[in-house]
Amino acid sequence: MARETMLARALVELADTLVSDFDVADLLIVLTDRCVDVLDVAAAGIMLAAPAGDLRVMASSSEEMRLLELFELQSQEGPCLDCYNTGEPVVNADLGGDDPRWPQFAQRATAAGFRSVHALPMRLRGAIVGALNLFHVDTGQMRPADVAAAQALADVATIAILQHRAATEAKLLNEQLNEALNTRIVIEQAKGMIAQRQGVDMEAAFTALRDHARTHNRRLADLARDVTEGRQDLATLGQP
Amino acid sequence: MLTDRLCGTCAVLTGVSGAGIMLMADDMAYGSLCTSGPTSVLIGQVQYTLGEGPCVDAHRQGRPVLEPDLAGAGSDRWAAFAEPVVAAGVGAVFGFPLRVGAARLGALNLYRDQPGDLSGDQHADALVLADVAAEAILLLHARAPAGPQADELARSADIHLVVHQAAGMVAVQLGINVGHALVRLRAHAFAYDRALRDVAEDVVARRMRFDTSDDQDE
Repeated sequence: MARETMLARALVELADTLVSDFDVADLLIVLTDRCVDVLDVAAAGIMLAAPAGDLRVMASSSEEMRLLELFELQSQEGPCLDCYNTGEPVVNADLGGDDPRWPQFAQRATAAGFRSVHALPMRLRGAIVGALNLFHVDTGQMRPADVAAAQALADVATIAILQHRAATEAKLLNEQLNEALNTRIVIEQAKGMIAQRQGVDMEAAFTALRDHARTHNRRLADLARDVTEGRQDLATLGQP
Repeated sequence: MLTDRLCGTCAVLTGVSGAGIMLMADDMAYGSLCTSGPTSVLIGQVQYTLGEGPCVDAHRQGRPVLEPDLAGAGSDRWAAFAEPVVAAGVGAVFGFPLRVGAARLGALNLYRDQPGDLSGDQHADALVLADVAAEAILLLHARAPAGPQADELARSADIHLVVHQAAGMVAVQLGINVGHALVRLRAHAFAYDRALRDVAEDVVARRMRFDTSDDQDE
Protein backbone atom coordinates (compact mmCIF):
# COMPACT_ATOMS: atom_id res chain seq x y z
CA MET A 1 0.00 0.00 0.00
CA ALA A 2 1.36 3.45 -0.83
CA ARG A 3 2.64 5.33 2.17
CA GLU A 4 0.29 8.23 1.52
CA THR A 5 -2.66 5.87 1.60
CA MET A 6 -1.46 4.34 4.85
CA LEU A 7 -1.06 7.76 6.37
CA ALA A 8 -4.49 8.88 5.24
CA ARG A 9 -6.03 5.72 6.64
CA ALA A 10 -4.19 6.12 9.92
CA LEU A 11 -5.33 9.70 10.29
CA VAL A 12 -8.93 8.84 9.50
CA GLU A 13 -8.81 5.93 11.92
CA LEU A 14 -7.49 8.17 14.64
CA ALA A 15 -9.81 11.05 13.84
CA ASP A 16 -12.80 8.70 14.00
CA THR A 17 -11.99 7.88 17.56
CA LEU A 18 -12.02 11.53 18.57
CA VAL A 19 -15.68 11.89 17.78
CA SER A 20 -17.08 9.64 20.43
CA ASP A 21 -16.20 8.54 23.92
CA PHE A 22 -12.82 7.01 23.36
CA ASP A 23 -9.88 5.40 25.05
CA VAL A 24 -6.97 7.86 25.16
CA ALA A 25 -4.48 5.42 26.59
CA ASP A 26 -5.11 2.81 23.92
CA LEU A 27 -5.26 5.45 21.18
CA LEU A 28 -1.78 6.67 21.95
CA ILE A 29 -0.40 3.15 21.85
CA VAL A 30 -2.17 2.55 18.53
CA LEU A 31 -0.67 5.79 17.31
CA THR A 32 2.84 4.62 18.08
CA ASP A 33 2.06 1.39 16.20
CA ARG A 34 0.82 3.44 13.23
CA CYS A 35 4.01 5.47 13.29
CA VAL A 36 5.99 2.28 12.87
CA ASP A 37 3.82 1.23 9.89
CA VAL A 38 3.43 4.56 8.16
CA LEU A 39 6.86 6.05 8.78
CA ASP A 40 8.71 2.76 8.50
CA VAL A 41 10.60 3.32 11.73
CA ALA A 42 11.88 0.69 14.12
CA ALA A 43 10.26 2.13 17.24
CA ALA A 44 8.09 5.04 18.30
CA GLY A 45 7.18 6.61 21.61
CA ILE A 46 5.21 9.50 23.02
CA MET A 47 6.61 11.59 25.87
CA LEU A 48 4.50 14.03 27.85
CA ALA A 49 5.40 16.85 30.19
CA ALA A 50 4.54 16.21 33.83
CA PRO A 51 3.35 19.07 36.07
CA ALA A 52 6.90 19.86 37.14
CA GLY A 53 7.90 20.13 33.46
CA ASP A 54 9.91 16.93 33.20
CA LEU A 55 9.20 14.49 30.35
CA ARG A 56 7.62 11.11 31.07
CA VAL A 57 6.80 8.11 28.86
CA MET A 58 3.17 8.00 27.84
CA ALA A 59 3.07 5.36 25.12
CA SER A 60 5.45 3.11 23.23
CA SER A 61 5.29 0.85 20.18
CA SER A 62 6.89 -1.91 22.20
CA GLU A 63 6.87 -2.78 25.89
CA GLU A 64 10.44 -3.99 25.74
CA MET A 65 12.29 -2.80 28.82
CA ARG A 66 15.30 -1.41 26.93
CA LEU A 67 13.09 0.75 24.78
CA LEU A 68 11.19 2.09 27.78
CA GLU A 69 14.50 2.92 29.43
CA LEU A 70 15.59 4.83 26.31
CA PHE A 71 12.49 6.96 26.60
CA GLU A 72 12.91 7.45 30.36
CA LEU A 73 16.51 8.52 29.89
CA GLN A 74 15.33 11.43 27.82
CA SER A 75 13.96 13.20 30.87
CA GLN A 76 17.64 13.98 31.45
CA GLU A 77 19.14 14.23 27.95
CA GLY A 78 18.23 13.37 24.39
CA PRO A 79 16.38 14.51 21.30
CA CYS A 80 12.98 14.60 23.00
CA LEU A 81 14.27 16.91 25.70
CA ASP A 82 15.86 19.22 23.15
CA CYS A 83 12.72 19.21 21.04
CA TYR A 84 10.57 19.94 24.09
CA ASN A 85 12.82 22.80 25.23
CA THR A 86 13.14 24.45 21.82
CA GLY A 87 9.79 23.52 20.28
CA GLU A 88 11.70 22.55 17.14
CA PRO A 89 11.86 19.13 15.48
CA VAL A 90 15.04 17.09 15.78
CA VAL A 91 15.45 15.13 12.54
CA ASN A 92 17.97 12.57 11.27
CA ALA A 93 20.14 12.83 14.31
CA ASP A 94 22.83 10.21 13.67
CA LEU A 95 23.97 8.36 16.74
CA GLY A 96 27.24 6.93 15.40
CA GLY A 97 30.46 8.02 17.01
CA ASP A 98 30.74 10.38 19.92
CA ASP A 99 27.71 12.56 20.22
CA PRO A 100 28.47 15.55 22.42
CA ARG A 101 24.79 16.43 22.65
CA TRP A 102 23.60 13.26 24.33
CA PRO A 103 26.51 11.06 25.36
CA GLN A 104 24.61 8.65 27.56
CA PHE A 105 21.52 8.49 25.38
CA ALA A 106 23.54 7.93 22.19
CA GLN A 107 25.48 5.11 23.80
CA ARG A 108 22.35 3.35 25.04
CA ALA A 109 20.46 3.86 21.80
CA THR A 110 23.24 2.46 19.63
CA ALA A 111 23.60 -0.47 22.03
CA ALA A 112 19.91 -1.13 21.43
CA GLY A 113 20.55 -1.22 17.68
CA PHE A 114 19.32 2.23 16.66
CA ARG A 115 21.38 4.45 14.39
CA SER A 116 19.23 7.51 13.97
CA VAL A 117 16.60 9.27 16.01
CA HIS A 118 13.99 11.99 15.57
CA ALA A 119 11.70 13.99 17.82
CA LEU A 120 8.64 15.99 16.76
CA PRO A 121 7.06 18.54 19.09
CA MET A 122 3.54 18.06 20.38
CA ARG A 123 2.17 21.55 20.38
CA LEU A 124 -1.10 23.21 21.17
CA ARG A 125 -1.47 26.94 20.64
CA GLY A 126 2.13 27.65 21.43
CA ALA A 127 2.38 25.37 24.46
CA ILE A 128 4.63 22.33 24.02
CA VAL A 129 3.10 19.39 25.85
CA GLY A 130 5.53 16.66 24.82
CA ALA A 131 7.27 14.99 21.93
CA LEU A 132 6.88 12.11 19.47
CA ASN A 133 10.08 10.08 19.40
CA LEU A 134 11.09 7.89 16.46
CA PHE A 135 14.00 5.48 16.06
CA HIS A 136 15.59 4.06 12.89
CA VAL A 137 18.14 1.32 12.54
CA ASP A 138 19.68 3.15 9.57
CA THR A 139 20.81 6.74 9.20
CA GLY A 140 19.34 9.55 7.11
CA GLN A 141 15.91 8.03 6.66
CA MET A 142 13.60 10.98 7.20
CA ARG A 143 12.79 13.05 4.13
CA PRO A 144 10.72 16.24 4.30
CA ALA A 145 7.54 14.34 3.40
CA ASP A 146 8.25 11.91 6.25
CA VAL A 147 8.75 14.78 8.66
CA ALA A 148 5.44 16.29 7.63
CA ALA A 149 3.69 12.95 8.07
CA ALA A 150 5.29 12.47 11.48
CA GLN A 151 4.25 15.95 12.58
CA ALA A 152 0.68 15.22 11.48
CA LEU A 153 0.65 12.11 13.67
CA ALA A 154 2.14 14.07 16.57
CA ASP A 155 -0.61 16.67 16.16
CA VAL A 156 -3.26 13.96 16.31
CA ALA A 157 -1.73 12.66 19.53
CA THR A 158 -1.88 16.14 21.06
CA ILE A 159 -5.52 16.60 20.16
CA ALA A 160 -6.36 13.14 21.46
CA ILE A 161 -4.90 13.89 24.85
CA LEU A 162 -6.78 17.13 25.12
CA GLN A 163 -9.92 15.25 24.20
CA HIS A 164 -10.62 17.23 21.09
CA ARG A 165 -11.79 20.23 22.99
CA ALA A 166 -10.51 23.70 22.35
CA ALA A 167 -8.49 23.53 25.52
CA THR A 168 -7.26 27.09 25.61
CA GLU A 169 -7.36 27.09 29.38
CA ALA A 170 -3.96 26.27 30.79
CA LYS A 171 -5.48 24.63 33.87
CA LEU A 172 -7.52 22.19 31.84
CA LEU A 173 -4.50 21.35 29.71
CA ASN A 174 -2.35 20.66 32.75
CA GLU A 175 -5.02 18.54 34.40
CA GLN A 176 -5.43 16.41 31.29
CA LEU A 177 -1.69 15.87 30.87
CA ASN A 178 -1.47 14.93 34.52
CA GLU A 179 -4.38 12.54 34.12
CA ALA A 180 -2.85 10.88 31.06
CA LEU A 181 0.45 10.31 32.85
CA ASN A 182 -1.30 8.94 35.91
CA THR A 183 -3.20 6.55 33.68
CA ARG A 184 0.10 5.30 32.34
CA ILE A 185 1.21 4.52 35.89
CA VAL A 186 -2.03 2.67 36.61
CA ILE A 187 -1.42 0.58 33.48
CA GLU A 188 2.12 -0.27 34.64
CA GLN A 189 0.82 -1.28 38.07
CA ALA A 190 -1.86 -3.43 36.42
CA LYS A 191 0.77 -5.06 34.20
CA GLY A 192 2.75 -6.00 37.29
CA MET A 193 -0.27 -7.55 38.97
CA ILE A 194 -1.18 -9.58 35.89
CA ALA A 195 2.43 -10.66 35.34
CA GLN A 196 2.63 -11.94 38.91
CA ARG A 197 -0.76 -13.64 38.91
CA GLN A 198 -0.38 -15.34 35.53
CA GLY A 199 3.34 -16.02 35.81
CA VAL A 200 4.16 -14.17 32.59
CA ASP A 201 6.46 -11.33 31.58
CA MET A 202 5.43 -7.70 31.25
CA GLU A 203 4.89 -7.84 27.49
CA ALA A 204 2.54 -10.79 27.82
CA ALA A 205 0.77 -9.10 30.71
CA PHE A 206 0.24 -6.00 28.62
CA THR A 207 -1.05 -8.03 25.71
CA ALA A 208 -3.51 -9.76 28.03
CA LEU A 209 -4.71 -6.39 29.31
CA ARG A 210 -5.18 -4.93 25.83
CA ASP A 211 -6.80 -8.07 24.45
CA HIS A 212 -9.26 -8.19 27.33
CA ALA A 213 -10.10 -4.50 26.90
CA ARG A 214 -10.77 -4.99 23.20
CA THR A 215 -12.77 -8.19 23.57
CA HIS A 216 -14.96 -6.69 26.27
CA ASN A 217 -15.12 -3.26 24.63
CA ARG A 218 -13.64 -1.53 27.62
CA ARG A 219 -11.29 1.38 27.89
CA LEU A 220 -7.76 0.39 28.72
CA ALA A 221 -7.64 2.99 31.49
CA ASP A 222 -10.84 1.73 33.10
CA LEU A 223 -9.80 -1.92 32.93
CA ALA A 224 -6.39 -1.11 34.39
CA ARG A 225 -8.11 0.70 37.24
CA ASP A 226 -10.36 -2.29 37.90
CA VAL A 227 -7.32 -4.57 37.93
CA THR A 228 -5.42 -2.41 40.41
CA GLU A 229 -8.43 -1.95 42.65
CA GLY A 230 -9.19 -5.66 42.85
CA ARG A 231 -12.40 -5.68 40.83
CA GLN A 232 -11.08 -7.89 38.05
CA ASP A 233 -10.25 -11.57 38.16
CA LEU A 234 -6.61 -11.74 37.14
CA ALA A 235 -6.29 -15.44 36.49
CA THR A 236 -8.62 -15.43 33.49
CA LEU A 237 -7.94 -11.92 32.16
CA GLY A 238 -7.04 -11.96 28.49
CA GLN A 239 -7.31 -15.74 28.26
CA PRO A 240 -9.26 -17.02 25.26
CA MET B 1 11.80 17.23 58.56
CA LEU B 2 10.26 17.50 55.13
CA THR B 3 6.67 17.29 56.28
CA ASP B 4 6.92 20.09 58.83
CA ARG B 5 7.86 22.56 56.17
CA LEU B 6 5.77 21.07 53.43
CA CYS B 7 2.44 22.74 54.11
CA GLY B 8 3.96 26.13 54.78
CA THR B 9 5.85 25.76 51.52
CA CYS B 10 2.70 24.72 49.67
CA ALA B 11 0.87 27.80 50.87
CA VAL B 12 3.69 30.18 50.02
CA LEU B 13 4.44 28.70 46.61
CA THR B 14 0.84 28.68 45.48
CA GLY B 15 0.12 32.11 46.94
CA VAL B 16 -2.88 31.04 49.00
CA SER B 17 -3.77 31.75 52.60
CA GLY B 18 -3.10 28.27 53.88
CA ALA B 19 -2.60 24.60 53.08
CA GLY B 20 -3.14 21.20 54.60
CA ILE B 21 -2.38 17.65 53.55
CA MET B 22 -5.04 15.10 54.42
CA LEU B 23 -4.26 11.41 54.61
CA MET B 24 -7.10 9.30 53.29
CA ALA B 25 -6.10 5.80 52.29
CA ASP B 26 -7.27 2.33 53.21
CA ASP B 27 -5.21 0.69 55.91
CA MET B 28 -3.15 3.78 56.52
CA ALA B 29 -3.69 6.19 59.36
CA TYR B 30 -6.14 8.98 58.67
CA GLY B 31 -5.40 12.50 59.79
CA SER B 32 -3.50 15.53 58.64
CA LEU B 33 0.07 15.04 57.54
CA CYS B 34 0.65 18.74 58.14
CA THR B 35 -1.16 22.07 58.12
CA SER B 36 0.02 25.63 57.77
CA GLY B 37 -2.28 26.95 60.49
CA PRO B 38 -5.49 26.55 62.52
CA THR B 39 -7.84 27.30 59.63
CA SER B 40 -6.35 24.46 57.62
CA VAL B 41 -6.69 22.25 60.68
CA LEU B 42 -10.40 23.10 60.75
CA ILE B 43 -10.83 22.48 57.03
CA GLY B 44 -9.35 19.00 57.48
CA GLN B 45 -11.30 18.18 60.63
CA VAL B 46 -14.65 19.18 59.16
CA GLN B 47 -14.06 16.96 56.15
CA TYR B 48 -13.02 13.97 58.22
CA THR B 49 -16.04 14.41 60.47
CA LEU B 50 -18.65 15.06 57.81
CA GLY B 51 -17.17 13.08 54.94
CA GLU B 52 -17.82 15.94 52.53
CA GLY B 53 -15.79 18.73 51.06
CA PRO B 54 -13.28 19.51 48.30
CA CYS B 55 -10.60 17.08 49.48
CA VAL B 56 -13.09 14.28 49.96
CA ASP B 57 -14.37 14.83 46.42
CA ALA B 58 -10.87 15.20 44.96
CA HIS B 59 -9.79 11.97 46.63
CA ARG B 60 -12.84 10.09 45.43
CA GLN B 61 -12.87 11.42 41.89
CA GLY B 62 -9.13 11.46 41.36
CA ARG B 63 -9.07 15.00 39.99
CA PRO B 64 -8.77 18.55 41.32
CA VAL B 65 -11.92 20.04 42.84
CA LEU B 66 -11.88 23.83 42.71
CA GLU B 67 -14.36 26.07 44.48
CA PRO B 68 -13.62 29.78 44.12
CA ASP B 69 -16.78 30.87 45.94
CA LEU B 70 -17.35 28.84 49.07
CA ALA B 71 -20.04 31.10 50.50
CA GLY B 72 -22.01 31.02 47.24
CA ALA B 73 -21.81 27.98 44.97
CA GLY B 74 -19.73 26.16 47.56
CA SER B 75 -22.58 26.24 50.03
CA ASP B 76 -24.82 24.51 47.52
CA ARG B 77 -22.16 21.91 46.86
CA TRP B 78 -21.33 21.12 50.48
CA ALA B 79 -23.90 22.67 52.80
CA ALA B 80 -22.56 21.10 55.98
CA PHE B 81 -18.88 21.63 55.18
CA ALA B 82 -19.29 25.22 54.01
CA GLU B 83 -21.02 26.59 57.11
CA PRO B 84 -18.25 26.32 59.70
CA VAL B 85 -15.50 26.92 57.16
CA VAL B 86 -17.05 30.11 55.80
CA ALA B 87 -17.56 31.23 59.39
CA ALA B 88 -13.82 30.76 59.92
CA GLY B 89 -13.16 33.31 57.17
CA VAL B 90 -12.51 31.10 54.17
CA GLY B 91 -13.56 32.45 50.76
CA ALA B 92 -12.27 29.79 48.36
CA VAL B 93 -11.14 26.16 48.70
CA PHE B 94 -9.25 23.88 46.36
CA GLY B 95 -8.62 20.15 46.72
CA PHE B 96 -5.94 18.24 44.78
CA PRO B 97 -5.82 14.44 44.92
CA LEU B 98 -2.59 12.82 46.03
CA ARG B 99 -2.12 9.69 44.01
CA VAL B 100 0.52 7.54 42.42
CA GLY B 101 -1.31 5.58 39.76
CA ALA B 102 -3.90 3.47 41.51
CA ALA B 103 -2.56 4.39 44.94
CA ARG B 104 -4.87 7.06 46.33
CA LEU B 105 -3.19 8.50 49.36
CA GLY B 106 -5.11 11.62 50.31
CA ALA B 107 -5.50 15.21 49.21
CA LEU B 108 -3.80 18.58 49.30
CA ASN B 109 -6.10 21.34 50.46
CA LEU B 110 -5.47 25.00 49.64
CA TYR B 111 -7.69 27.80 50.82
CA ARG B 112 -7.90 31.53 50.37
CA ASP B 113 -9.49 34.17 52.61
CA GLN B 114 -10.89 35.93 49.58
CA PRO B 115 -13.09 34.25 46.98
CA GLY B 116 -11.60 33.79 43.49
CA ASP B 117 -9.95 31.26 41.21
CA LEU B 118 -6.42 30.01 41.34
CA SER B 119 -4.35 31.46 38.53
CA GLY B 120 -2.99 29.11 35.87
CA ASP B 121 0.45 29.25 37.50
CA GLN B 122 -0.89 28.60 40.99
CA HIS B 123 -2.86 25.65 39.67
CA ALA B 124 0.22 24.28 37.89
CA ASP B 125 2.30 24.71 41.06
CA ALA B 126 -0.36 22.92 43.07
CA LEU B 127 -0.17 19.92 40.71
CA VAL B 128 3.59 19.75 41.22
CA LEU B 129 3.21 20.02 45.00
CA ALA B 130 0.56 17.31 44.96
CA ASP B 131 3.16 14.96 43.45
CA VAL B 132 5.69 15.98 46.09
CA ALA B 133 3.13 15.48 48.85
CA ALA B 134 2.18 12.03 47.52
CA GLU B 135 5.81 10.97 47.61
CA ALA B 136 6.21 12.45 51.09
CA ILE B 137 3.35 10.23 52.29
CA LEU B 138 4.94 7.12 50.81
CA LEU B 139 8.29 7.99 52.38
CA LEU B 140 6.62 8.65 55.71
CA HIS B 141 4.95 5.26 55.71
CA ALA B 142 8.21 3.62 54.62
CA ARG B 143 9.89 5.35 57.59
CA ALA B 144 12.47 6.92 55.38
CA PRO B 145 15.58 8.01 57.21
CA ALA B 146 16.42 11.68 56.75
CA GLY B 147 19.26 12.34 54.38
CA PRO B 148 20.34 12.29 50.76
CA GLN B 149 18.90 8.89 49.93
CA ALA B 150 15.38 10.00 50.82
CA ASP B 151 15.84 13.28 49.01
CA GLU B 152 17.05 11.52 45.90
CA LEU B 153 14.12 9.17 46.09
CA ALA B 154 11.66 12.01 46.45
CA ARG B 155 13.00 13.57 43.30
CA SER B 156 13.13 10.59 41.02
CA ALA B 157 10.93 7.81 42.33
CA ASP B 158 8.09 7.85 39.86
CA ILE B 159 10.02 8.39 36.68
CA HIS B 160 10.82 4.72 36.35
CA LEU B 161 7.93 2.59 35.17
CA VAL B 162 9.69 -0.53 36.43
CA VAL B 163 8.96 0.65 40.00
CA HIS B 164 5.25 0.50 39.25
CA GLN B 165 5.48 -2.87 37.58
CA ALA B 166 7.25 -4.14 40.68
CA ALA B 167 4.59 -2.61 42.92
CA GLY B 168 1.91 -4.55 41.02
CA MET B 169 3.84 -7.78 41.48
CA VAL B 170 4.45 -7.19 45.19
CA ALA B 171 0.77 -6.28 45.67
CA VAL B 172 -0.23 -9.73 44.41
CA GLN B 173 2.60 -11.52 46.22
CA LEU B 174 1.53 -10.07 49.56
CA GLY B 175 -2.20 -9.64 48.95
CA ILE B 176 -2.00 -5.89 49.64
CA ASN B 177 -3.01 -2.86 47.62
CA VAL B 178 -0.66 -1.07 45.28
CA GLY B 179 -0.14 1.87 47.65
CA HIS B 180 1.08 -0.47 50.34
CA ALA B 181 3.32 -2.21 47.82
CA LEU B 182 4.92 1.10 46.86
CA VAL B 183 5.64 1.68 50.55
CA ARG B 184 7.09 -1.82 51.00
CA LEU B 185 9.46 -1.36 48.07
CA ARG B 186 10.73 1.90 49.54
CA ALA B 187 11.08 0.41 53.01
CA HIS B 188 13.16 -2.41 51.57
CA ALA B 189 15.34 0.03 49.64
CA PHE B 190 16.04 2.01 52.82
CA ALA B 191 16.60 -1.06 54.96
CA TYR B 192 19.13 -2.55 52.55
CA ASP B 193 20.57 0.77 51.37
CA ARG B 194 19.72 0.12 47.74
CA ALA B 195 18.31 2.30 45.00
CA LEU B 196 14.56 1.85 44.60
CA ARG B 197 14.95 1.23 40.90
CA ASP B 198 17.43 -1.60 41.49
CA VAL B 199 15.07 -3.26 43.94
CA ALA B 200 12.25 -2.92 41.42
CA GLU B 201 14.33 -4.42 38.62
CA ASP B 202 15.15 -7.40 40.82
CA VAL B 203 11.47 -7.93 41.52
CA VAL B 204 10.46 -7.68 37.86
CA ALA B 205 13.30 -9.98 36.79
CA ARG B 206 12.08 -12.40 39.42
CA ARG B 207 15.42 -12.38 41.21
CA MET B 208 13.59 -11.38 44.35
CA ARG B 209 10.18 -11.94 45.91
CA PHE B 210 8.49 -10.23 48.83
CA ASP B 211 6.46 -13.21 50.01
CA THR B 212 9.50 -15.24 51.00
CA SER B 213 12.48 -14.61 53.19
CA ASP B 214 13.99 -12.27 50.55
CA ASP B 215 12.37 -9.37 52.35
CA GLN B 216 13.23 -9.49 56.01
CA ASP B 217 12.35 -6.07 57.28
CA GLU B 218 8.81 -6.74 58.42
